[in-house]
Amino acid sequence: MPGLSPWGRLLLTVTAIVLAAPLVVVAAVSLNASHRMFFPPASVSLRWYGVFFGDPAWRASLGASLLVATCASLLSTAVALPIAYGAWRHGSAAARWLGSAGSVLFLMPGIVSAMMFVIFWGAVRHVGRLENIIFSHAAVFLALPVAIISVGLQAIDRGLIEAAGTMGADEAAAFRLVIRPAITPHVICGALFVFVLSLNEYLIAYMVSGFTTPTLPIRIFDTMRAGYEPTMCVAAVVFMAIGLAVFSALAVFGDLPRLLGRETALEG
Amino acid sequence: MRRGGGGGLALLLAPALFIGAFAGWPALILIETSVAHQDLSGMARPALEFGHFAELARPTFLRPLATSFALALATAVIAVGVAFPVTWLIARLRRRAQVAWLVCLLTSLSLSEVLIVFAWQTLLSARVGLTAPLVWLGLLQRPVSLSPSLGAALACLVYLVLPYVILLLYPAVSRLDPEIPQAAATMGASPARAILTVVAPILRAPLITAALGVMVTTVGAYLTPLVLAKPQQWTVGIVISRSVMEDGNAPLGAAQAVGVVALMIILLAASRRLTRDGAP
Repeated sequence: MPGLSPWGRLLLTVTAIVLAAPLVVVAAVSLNASHRMFFPPASVSLRWYGVFFGDPAWRASLGASLLVATCASLLSTAVALPIAYGAWRHGSAAARWLGSAGSVLFLMPGIVSAMMFVIFWGAVRHVGRLENIIFSHAAVFLALPVAIISVGLQAIDRGLIEAAGTMGADEAAAFRLVIRPAITPHVICGALFVFVLSLNEYLIAYMVSGFTTPTLPIRIFDTMRAGYEPTMCVAAVVFMAIGLAVFSALAVFGDLPRLLGRETALEG
Repeated sequence: MRRGGGGGLALLLAPALFIGAFAGWPALILIETSVAHQDLSGMARPALEFGHFAELARPTFLRPLATSFALALATAVIAVGVAFPVTWLIARLRRRAQVAWLVCLLTSLSLSEVLIVFAWQTLLSARVGLTAPLVWLGLLQRPVSLSPSLGAALACLVYLVLPYVILLLYPAVSRLDPEIPQAAATMGASPARAILTVVAPILRAPLITAALGVMVTTVGAYLTPLVLAKPQQWTVGIVISRSVMEDGNAPLGAAQAVGVVALMIILLAASRRLTRDGAP
């Protein structure tokens, strides 16, 4: 760490340790060979990983979670793209208004949006289906892809669009040739954010899903309320692995500091 | 709206329908339900009754409401106080170290609250023994469990929002000219002092935005206080969900939700006015 004072280094190290501590504990506990919870584990084994992936109920929950997160992320991004594009390209007031209206849900306390959706799905007589979670998540997390794609669009030089226009490109061609390549990383980034947040969301999923296959967070919480089960630690490790894989991929394929809003380039 | 304004609007049709159906309509139904009539069979019928709002004035709702706002305020102050210097330091790291920090923060941010609550419960339990060193020093008789307690809930909430706050502050902090604190240093200010007296005032707006963001999300906290706090310390999030999921009283839950949002809007408007008045 160049140029950091010893105190700065200490603060960063302590923060890193505190952020890692609960996760390290859970990951270590998942390696226990016995059914009891020991930390550090008394003897190390991968036994509970076998149990987790061999159990049809856990597998079904993992499948339901992945399905919900994938659909919610595609839906949310598909709705966000025209809004961000309309606001930037046409300076459309309607698009900006839609962007704010769609972001209000994200700014509400989770319990309030959960309440809204539980009453809504009851009112439209469509209770306890998996797709309820998909639509609810897509709506709640819409703010993220709108914001991230907008940042990407603002970085595009408008002169390029004008130039494409002078050379005879219509709006569709300009979008394909100039805009799409520039915003693809932002679109992917927005979709991944929704994917990961939806994968982990508990309250809305719990309140609108009824008695369908519980998603992974719901099953983990139910297991936790019933007492301790080693498999839930395995589920936790599976989550961490998915999150780490998704964001490492983003760092490899995209410029992460820039995607997260850094404007000045970094060397090294 | 230069050329093809109509085309631009046509593009917005699908998003408008989506937002209308899955944000506007649910919001209207929530408000409608909050004034609906709950008959003895547990069915809610359309009406214009404000009885459920009258129930919000009872201690059964006011006490959790006070707990929620106090907890949210404490979480916001601690989280922003910690995140600000940490973000400052991260933004000064080399690119590789910075990317590694960002990946880890995003991963931790993406972990379900369920997992983090479980991890904290494990960490604070007597068995895993965060208190074991105190026993060894003779300060405690035997290892104790540190949860359920309000402190445990607060620690977990700060942990939950910390990555959010760092990532929220990151754009503004990374944009700041590194020469500003250097200039302060040449005039004799220590790095910590330079951050507090020179950098913090410049970043006033993002810092306040981050604190308000934390408050808004934490006021509705549900899982953390449910697991890590005692029942008498439960928050409005738990009260609202119990109204609906356990008592089957959707109109009361809706009225409580509307009440929380109304209070939040009032507080946000007040703080916005406050910051605008103070701005140069």
